[in-house]
Amino acid sequence: MGAAVDIARGETLIGKRVPKMDAPEKASGRTRYIHDINLPGQLHAKILRAGVVHARIVSIDTSAAKALPGVHAVITAADVPWQRPIGVAKDHLPLKTDRVRSPRDEIAAVAADSAEIAEAALRLIKVTYDPLPVVTSAEDALRPGAPLLHGEELTWTAPDGRREVLHAPSPDNVAMTFNYAQGDVARGEAESDTVVEDVFWLHYVTHCCMGVSGVIAEFDADDNLRLYSNTQVPFLHKREFAELLGIDPGRIRVIQPPIGGGFGSKLDIYPFEPIAIFLAKITQRPVKLIFTREEEFLASPTRQPVLLKLRSGCKRDGTLTFRTVDTLHDNGAYTSWGATTPFVMMQTISSLYRVPHCQYRTRAVYTNNPYAGSFRGYGNLQATFAVEAHMDKLAEAVGMDPVTFRLRNAQEPGEITPQGMHFKSCGFKQCLETAALRSDFRRKHNEYRAKWHDSNPLKRGVGMASMLHVGGGAKIYPSDGCGTILKIDDFAHLTLITGASEIGQGSETVLAQLVCEELGLPLSAVTVVNNDTDITPWDVGVHASRTTFVAGNSAIGAARKAKAKILAAAAAKLELPVERLGLRAGCVVETGSGNRFIEIGKLIRSLHFSDKAELVMTTHYYEPPSQHQDREFKGDVSAAYAWATQVAEVEVDTMTGIVRLLRITGAHDVGRVLNRLGIEGQIEGGIVMGQGYATTENLIVENGVVRNPSFRDYKLVTAPEIPAIDISFIETMDGEGPQGAKGVGEAPAICVAAAVANAIYNATGVRLYALPFTPENVYRALKGQAQPPVWRVAS
Amino acid sequence: MSGISNYVAPRSLDEAAELLRAGNVTLLAGGTDLMPQSRNGRTQLRPTLMSIRRVAELRGISEAAGNVRIGALTTISELRDSVLVRERLQALWQACDRFASDQIRNAATIGGNICNASPAGDTLVPLLVLDAQVELASKSNGTLATRAVPIADFLLGPGQTARAATEILSGIVLALPPRHFISSFFKFGTRPALDISLISVGLAARRAGNALHDVRVAFGAVAPRPIRAPAAEAALEGKALDDGVIAVAAAAAEAEIHPISDVRASDWYRREMVRNMFTRVLAHVRDR
Ligand SMILES: Cc1cc2nc3c(=O)[nH]c(=O)nc-3n(C[C@H](O)[C@H](O)[C@H](O)COP(=O)(O)OP(=O)(O)OC[C@H]3O[C@@H](n4cnc5c(N)ncnc54)[C@H](O)[C@@H]3O)c2cc1C
Repeated sequence: MGAAVDIARGETLIGKRVPKMDAPEKASGRTRYIHDINLPGQLHAKILRAGVVHARIVSIDTSAAKALPGVHAVITAADVPWQRPIGVAKDHLPLKTDRVRSPRDEIAAVAADSAEIAEAALRLIKVTYDPLPVVTSAEDALRPGAPLLHGEELTWTAPDGRREVLHAPSPDNVAMTFNYAQGDVARGEAESDTVVEDVFWLHYVTHCCMGVSGVIAEFDADDNLRLYSNTQVPFLHKREFAELLGIDPGRIRVIQPPIGGGFGSKLDIYPFEPIAIFLAKITQRPVKLIFTREEEFLASPTRQPVLLKLRSGCKRDGTLTFRTVDTLHDNGAYTSWGATTPFVMMQTISSLYRVPHCQYRTRAVYTNNPYAGSFRGYGNLQATFAVEAHMDKLAEAVGMDPVTFRLRNAQEPGEITPQGMHFKSCGFKQCLETAALRSDFRRKHNEYRAKWHDSNPLKRGVGMASMLHVGGGAKIYPSDGCGTILKIDDFAHLTLITGASEIGQGSETVLAQLVCEELGLPLSAVTVVNNDTDITPWDVGVHASRTTFVAGNSAIGAARKAKAKILAAAAAKLELPVERLGLRAGCVVETGSGNRFIEIGKLIRSLHFSDKAELVMTTHYYEPPSQHQDREFKGDVSAAYAWATQVAEVEVDTMTGIVRLLRITGAHDVGRVLNRLGIEGQIEGGIVMGQGYATTENLIVENGVVRNPSFRDYKLVTAPEIPAIDISFIETMDGEGPQGAKGVGEAPAICVAAAVANAIYNATGVRLYALPFTPENVYRALKGQAQPPVWRVAS
Repeated sequence: MSGISNYVAPRSLDEAAELLRAGNVTLLAGGTDLMPQSRNGRTQLRPTLMSIRRVAELRGISEAAGNVRIGALTTISELRDSVLVRERLQALWQACDRFASDQIRNAATIGGNICNASPAGDTLVPLLVLDAQVELASKSNGTLATRAVPIADFLLGPGQTARAATEILSGIVLALPPRHFISSFFKFGTRPALDISLISVGLAARRAGNALHDVRVAFGAVAPRPIRAPAAEAALEGKALDDGVIAVAAAAAEAEIHPISDVRASDWYRREMVRNMFTRVLAHVRDR
């Protein structure tokens, strides 16, 4: 533990170890998650899912379920003819009409007096299906003559009979494509002394939030909708739900109870949410719908499988020349944010290192598999995995060590990349050097490599990987901003009303810190209000590692306005020039000497209770100075960029294939450390999540069916597996960041798998091209029994 | 909404056996298998649920006349805390040490582990190499009677045992191993905690110098039930452990197992792991 902050002495809060404000509540079990909320008169809902993979729905008989005592409503698509499709491509009806495309598909839903009755009612619903041929992989989906998942247009008929086409047919199963190019790859290849090409396979995983998905929907007597929701984007969803229901967005209020984990899984609307709303509307009662853990595995979004072909080259001196990437994304049965991960992947391909010539192409393809959402890192884990494998291969080919090779190609401050990203602050080279030094990388890399052929079945290895990620928001929507309202009451208690959502990442604490830093108040003087769209100002949502940066700048803006107001009042009262006044330790002080003039509370009281009565209440909206990408995907999308290098040290048991992570040495350009305790937690958590992706987690999907929907067989990392973690912070003091900070929410999870792959190679001389590195997969590869991924994709 | 209409919690073995005789009873011990299985539909609960947890006679570990008796209700934690088990029945202790998590170990009983008859049940492999007998109590003809069955004959297949519907498993009896007796259990899972055995290896023998006598070898999770491996035993019997003997025994073991492929591992990998881990266990014994 670092030294405690003595706010009474007016010390800075920045960079200190500040416990999260919500920690006591969570640690003592007092936090009221959505599960704990029960409204008077509330009904419980359950969803009947298809269970079959791909079929026409022939008939649905709900009569027995409706007759069960305690059941209030049983609905199918026929009961909500006005339902509209949801999702990124509007290709997904909450309740399925004539066809199911995935076993998770929603057929019917029940609202009943208890969850048990609802469950029993589901068992009474009889559905008959006519099976259709199943498309089990993205490659199969592209084969000529493959069954079409969305071959017909999806139309919607308004109550007045007007017909709208909401989703055009996809005649080739391709849901989305991305093409990006810079320079001339043919020229780049011609200039290369070494060229490597490989195919990589990135597997299925899912978020495994400890708090399962859930929602409570309620209409008031005036038909306004109140939604208790775990969403990460309350304001965007308010609008979407309004569209879905055909009502004015102003009539929807979203309240977010404390969220038991997001990691990107709650960026989209999923069928269970509209279904709960339909049931609430039909029954005119509050309806609560909470997933079981099994349902969470079956019906929440995934990080999708990606088949990726990468061709890269460099010159003899180690300078990168070109990169060509072709990927096939298994979109699953419907389109959610997963299809758009190429936005981030191409940034890593084009701009993590300096590469003059690049070509990038993705096709996201419909299959009957679980559909893909967004997940911490947003495609960057996959892109980094491939790019960093090639950095090691190219380095080896030209006889350079991995660190030197990377330093030769690393970005520097001031660079504007061909994709248009402007790296105003950039600590990449310090990250590389620091991680290499603290892990003793060069020495170990040589030593371990020399032991490939000795008799010890336990091999050690080190591997490194680096990453680039947005760290100052991401301009995807018309605005990437956030609003703040700050109210200081007559006891100098501060209510910080922010649009930014807390999903466990510690934003409340950091925002409070930033505001207190401006106003010289202790953290105990702050209440954060951040979970009710009827109260909080607009924010685009918690995603893209943006909250500290964007909401932080917004909070600072509001705090500075409040400070100006307080100081102006103090100057008038004390008859002193405002320049001589500052705020510290709860008082108005003299700037140089620190002499106390008056307590802030007392000053505010005198403002309130006077003939010119005034409240200290300010607002601020911050919009980061970033740009939208143009049609060629070029533009400076973020106001700042985060960098990191991680070195993994592993031990490979060649008799079992078990890869033990011994140590992760991370060096992260975080701009500046605001809450040391918080950022350490964020980075450790991200590393463990990356470790799970690399070594243990695997959503096994066979013929469209999830085979391991439980923690028994979907293996999260357990405590004894967590490696020693050594973190260094590179503080580049970003000019636009709040107190110099950048966003780091996603960064720590991104490098681990890539670094571990390189470490396994350093330990054994065997390179793995497919994740995850489960013992059997590693053992197979060591025995030469693995089938390396191949690119067999129809063009 | 289960099919349970009646819950009973007898206080004596006699009473429990009487209730069982009436039929249509599901027995509940720690519930760590029964509860998940009844919830996911793998087990149908019968109308009467009988908790045996109040039956004091089913508890405790005792030693008398060269025999150890372990009550069926003894929890995995109790076995792990027992000095007798740790010092004299090492293989069983090792199985309990690598078993699940604290929470599960505190609830799970050895009787439940045996009656659940999972091919991967962790106490079964040590009990096989320790030549344990299970004791079954019933009142099928009015008076309480017990019979003893060797564990190898008791386990029939996944979830199947030689227990009659009217019988309670009351305890486990085994001869206290002689001096210079070694036993060892190795659980191979893909992670160090909270894992189901992918395969497991049990070994017990009397050690004389470098040679092993009265060798017993068993494997878990490689056949419909945990199995003894007589050919591997024969390959080791009376021999000094050296690389050659170990290789022959490992090859013999491979011919005795019938692993399957499932979501946890392929049959190929299970075979490889039996060979490699059996080799490792034997090398460890040799070098000790
Ligand atoms: C998270 C988790 C982790 C686990 N990890 C492991 C592990 O590492 N290794 C392992 O081997 N197992 C493991 N298990 C399985 C389980 O804990 C064990 O099999 C345990 O020993 C079962 O004992 P119990 O007392 O809970 O049995 P119960 O669930 O009460 O009963 C199991 C079965 O045996 C019957 N039964 C119980 N006692 C008797 C008796 N005296 N006479 C007749 N019939 C009886 C019951 O009717 C039921 O059919 C795990 C389970 C969970 C939930």
